[in-house]
Amino acid sequence: MPSIDYRDAVGGALLVAVGAAFAIYSWTHYPLGTVSRMGAGMVPFSLGVILSIFGGMVAMASLSREGSFTDIRVATPLIVLGSVVLFALAIIPFGFLPAAFLVTLVAAFADLSFRPIRNIVLATVLSAAAYLIFAIGLQLPIPLFAWPF
Amino acid sequence: MDIFSNIALGLEIALTPVNLLYCFLGVFLGTFIGVLPGIGALAAISMLFPITYHLEPTTALIMLAGIYYGTAYGGSTASILLNIPGTSSSVVTCLDGYPMAQQGRAGVALAMTAIGSFFGGVFGILVLSLFSPLISNSALSFGPAEYFTLMVLGLIAASAITEGSAAKGLAMVVLGILLASVGMDPQSGIQRFTFGTLDLMDGLGMSALAMGLFGISEVIASIRTKTDGTTATVTPHAVSMRSLIPTRDDMRRSWMPMLRSSSIGSFFGALPGTGPSIASFVSYAMEKRVSKTPERFGKGAVEGVVAPETANNAADQTAFIPTLTLGIPGSATMALMIGAMMVHGIHPGPQMMTEQPAMFWGLVMSFWVGNVLLIILNLPLIGLWVRLLTIPYHLLFPAIVMFISIGAYSVRYSAFDVLTVAGFGALGYAMRIFAMPAAPLLLGFVLGPLIEQHFRRAMVLARGDLAAIVERPISGVFVIISVLLLGWSLWSTFRQTGKAKLVESEN
Repeated sequence: MPSIDYRDAVGGALLVAVGAAFAIYSWTHYPLGTVSRMGAGMVPFSLGVILSIFGGMVAMASLSREGSFTDIRVATPLIVLGSVVLFALAIIPFGFLPAAFLVTLVAAFADLSFRPIRNIVLATVLSAAAYLIFAIGLQLPIPLFAWPF
Repeated sequence: MDIFSNIALGLEIALTPVNLLYCFLGVFLGTFIGVLPGIGALAAISMLFPITYHLEPTTALIMLAGIYYGTAYGGSTASILLNIPGTSSSVVTCLDGYPMAQQGRAGVALAMTAIGSFFGGVFGILVLSLFSPLISNSALSFGPAEYFTLMVLGLIAASAITEGSAAKGLAMVVLGILLASVGMDPQSGIQRFTFGTLDLMDGLGMSALAMGLFGISEVIASIRTKTDGTTATVTPHAVSMRSLIPTRDDMRRSWMPMLRSSSIGSFFGALPGTGPSIASFVSYAMEKRVSKTPERFGKGAVEGVVAPETANNAADQTAFIPTLTLGIPGSATMALMIGAMMVHGIHPGPQMMTEQPAMFWGLVMSFWVGNVLLIILNLPLIGLWVRLLTIPYHLLFPAIVMFISIGAYSVRYSAFDVLTVAGFGALGYAMRIFAMPAAPLLLGFVLGPLIEQHFRRAMVLARGDLAAIVERPISGVFVIISVLLLGWSLWSTFRQTGKAKLVESEN
C-alpha cells in the first residue's frame, strides 16, 4: 500500500507547475504596472502565484494520508479526442458530411468492441440525421462537400 | 400593484408563438437528455448552447432555461425506473422511487414526482418574483469594489463548500480565471498568452470549454464504466396511464412534504455553492426526521420521492435570483446562462430589471409556462421516455461526440474552436484522474474577466490603496465573510480524512 496519496501529490505538483508557468510568463512578457495603475501582467502574475499556493496545499495534504490512482485508460480517451481532432481537420477541406461521418465512425470504436459494419451503419445514419438537423433544420451555411485538390 | 403589471408584461413575452415553441423545445430536449443516464444538465446545455446563438436573446434564454429545468424532470424518471439517477439532483429519488417501482407503483411515483416538481417549480418562481426586485434595488448602488468582493465571495462559496477538497476547488477557480485572461487585455490592448497566433486573439470560447470539460470528458468517463460490464441490459417496468393515478393516501401524505421541501429548495437554490443536489438531500433527511413512520423510508415511501423532487425543482428556479439580480452565478449551470447572455450582449445585474424588463419578466414567466408544458408533456409521454431508457450507450456516445463537434464548429465556423474542444476534453479527463472538480473552473472562467476589470477599476478609484476595499462598509463585510469562509474551508481540507462528502458536480 502506498503511504501517501499519490493522486493528490502528483495533481498538486502539476498545479504548482502550471501556476509558476503563468506567473513567470506574465512577469517576463507583460508590464506589471503599479497597484493603482495595473499593467496587463499584474493580475495573471498574482493568480499564477495563488494557483501555486493552492497546488502546494493540495500536495501537502496528500502527504498525511493514503490513496492511489484509479486505473487510467489510454485507448478510449485517445480515440474520442482523436475523432474530434479529425473533425476539426476535415471540416474545411472536405466539408460537412465527410467530417460528420468521420467523427462518428472513429468515435464509435472508443468502446473497444471491434464492430466495423455496425459502426459504418451508425455513422451513415447519424450523419444523415446531422444533415437534416443542421443543414435543413437550422440552415447553417456550411458547404456539404468540398474537395481540396 | 407593480408586480402584476410586470407579470402581465412577462406573460405577453413568454406566450408569443416563437417563445412558446422554443420553451417547448427546451423542456422537451431537457427531459429527453435528463432521462438518458450519464448526461447531466451541464453537458446538455453546453451541447445545445451553440444552437441558441442564432436566436433572439430572450428566446435563447427561454430555451436554455427550459433545457435546464427539463433535465431535472427527466432525471427522476431514470431514478425511479432503473435505480440509475439521470442527474445528480435525483440521486436521492432512487432511495424510495425504485422500491416503489419494484412494488408495481412506478406510475404513482412518476405522477407524484411530476406533481411535486410542478409545485416546487411554481413555489420557486414565486420566491424569485418577490425577492428579485428587492435584491436588485439594494445592489444598484454597488461600485467596482462591491462587485469585486461580492464575486470573490461567490466564487469562494461555490468552490469551497460543496467540493471534496476546498484547496482543489479554489485552485480550479483560479485556473479558470487564468484561462479567461487569454486574449486581448481590454484596458491596455496587449495580447496575453496568445503566443502570436491570431486564433487566440478573441480568447478561448466558453462553449468550447464547456463542451470539452463536461461533454467530451463525460463521454470518455461513461464509456469506461459501460464497457466494464457494470450495467446489464435493462428492462424498465411497464407504465400504463391508469397506473399513474395516485391513491388518496398518497396525496394526503405528500401535501406537507411538498410545502416543506419547496421552502428548503428555494433557500438552498438561492445560496451560492449549494444547489438542487444539496436541496434534495436536505429535504429527504428532513422528511425522514419529521415523519411519524421513518422506517418506511428506503422501502418505497411516497414522501421520499416527492420531497427531493419538489426541492430540486424549487432550487432550480431560485438559482436564478443571484444570477439575474447580481450577475453572479451560484453554480456552473448558471455560469453558462450568464455566458449565454453575454454572447448576446446582455450583462445581467441590478440594471437588468429596469433596462430590460421585457427580457427579465419574459424569462421568469417562461419558467411558469415551461412548468405547465412539462406536466402536460411528462405524464402522457412517459411511455416514450421509458423506451428511451433502453437505448444502449454504444449507440448514444458517437452521436454525442458528433453533435459536440458540429455544435462547436457552428458557433463561429472556426475549426480552431473544435480543436479547443478536444484540448479541454483532454484537460477534463486529466482533471477526473486527479479528482479535480470541473464546475469551479467554469465559474472562474465566466467571472474571470469581470473580476479583473472590477478589481483594476476599484484600485484606480482607491489610488492603489488595498485597505480602501475593506473600509467601504458593504465590500468590507463581503471581505470578512470571504476570509472566514476561506480559512474555515482550507482548515477542513487539512482535517479531512477521505470521508465521503456530498459532491455537487452537476448543477
